[in-house]
Amino acid sequence: MKRRVVLSLLVPLALGACGTAATPAPTATVSANAVAEIQAGSQFNDTDVMFLQMLAYHQKQGLEMTATAASRSKNPQLKTLAEAVQATEKDELSMMQAWLTQWGKPTTADTAASLHADHGGLPATGPAEIKALKTVSAATFDTAFLNLFLAHQHNAIEMAHLETADGSNPEAKAFADRVRESRQGEVQQMLKLMNS
Amino acid sequence: MVRLPTVLGMRRKIAYPLVALGMTIGSSLAVASPALAHGYVSTPPSRQALCASGAVADCGQIQFEPQSVEAPKGRQSCDGGVSTWSVLSDESRNWPAKSVGTSVNFTWVMTARHRTADWTYYVGGTKVASISGGNAQPDAVVSHTIDLSKFPGKHTVLAVWNIGDTANAFYSCVDLNIGGGSASSSPTTAPTTSAPATTAPTAAPTTSAPGAAPTTTAPPAAAGSAWAAGVSYKTGDVVTYQGVRYQCRQSHSSINSWEPSIYTLALWLPL
Repeated sequence: MKRRVVLSLLVPLALGACGTAATPAPTATVSANAVAEIQAGSQFNDTDVMFLQMLAYHQKQGLEMTATAASRSKNPQLKTLAEAVQATEKDELSMMQAWLTQWGKPTTADTAASLHADHGGLPATGPAEIKALKTVSAATFDTAFLNLFLAHQHNAIEMAHLETADGSNPEAKAFADRVRESRQGEVQQMLKLMNS
Repeated sequence: MVRLPTVLGMRRKIAYPLVALGMTIGSSLAVASPALAHGYVSTPPSRQALCASGAVADCGQIQFEPQSVEAPKGRQSCDGGVSTWSVLSDESRNWPAKSVGTSVNFTWVMTARHRTADWTYYVGGTKVASISGGNAQPDAVVSHTIDLSKFPGKHTVLAVWNIGDTANAFYSCVDLNIGGGSASSSPTTAPTTSAPATTAPTAAPTTSAPGAAPTTTAPPAAAGSAWAAGVSYKTGDVVTYQGVRYQCRQSHSSINSWEPSIYTLALWLPL
């Protein structure tokens, strides 16, 4: 399983150039190339794969939620947080998908998370709740978003703990550390925003 | 839907991650490791929420997992009787009391949606309200409006989430100044006179400082200064980090791990 991907570093990246396309800047091409340069090597185990697949699925949900917040929230601080999360997680998603592709693995866990919804352990945020953010009243939007995204980012931290405990790939584990730290900081900002 | 289990099925040592991420069939999941649990009161801020937001400093591990105060049902303490979380029962911490009306909206954030027996609220050991969960899975965010008009003044509300299919419950204590604010029950219209705490991580918690600045305002960046966490950076701002100058390309309030690097090119570009 691991031997099969020895040549992965030589395979051109299909996804590398997508990372920052939505964030135009004078030197955007430099950025896009650099994100694609973050390599994870060819040694990995199933926890590494599952962590990236689960988080990639999770992060697509997060991008949907933060896009809604960026357009619907009237609170400048909340909007800024949502936009910063968007920008950073888009690049993270590109990176995760590139690693999975190099490893010869599917880039998402599909709806596996929802499949076991009856068994008590599904991620906090489901499609219906994410969709509801688009229609909740303007007056209650900020509170609704903050609480749902709070649960969402707590889940990301929980996934990162799994990778730290059972993953093997050094870059993936270092990424898990960054996920834990950044989401912790976001949780802190969200709790302040909702209780200020 | 079928791909992930196939991938995972190739491996022998899969029990832990599968259980923890809820990929198993069956309800054994409900007793997952404490590090992966499960729910707390976010607004008005519970003691663990105050720790996680940094409003109350030096709380220890609870600041990283405010959702983890899990203990057998029937406890009457803020820490659920678990020594790991004993800081939550430490009254010498001067937990700031949020000024609220007499009808209070409590919001729970769930990171694992266990079947729920009920949510029960206590003040001073007296049961104030109990809301059935119907032994169903709750949403990720659950709110209850509780009438606390019989308890004016400062009180600590013990909010308990009793799980339907395990012997355990989750505990959150919420310090309130009941009747000390507007009668609104909505967290979005919290009384403006209530500012539970300061932002400085080392500052002692303050109690209801009227008119204090919002806790979310990070200081603006000084041009060309060293990058730091907790600073509000605007697009175009320039910082120095490890001898290299970077320009901000996406406004943000900085946090640990968002320092300029190859991993944060969405926020910072080298000059």
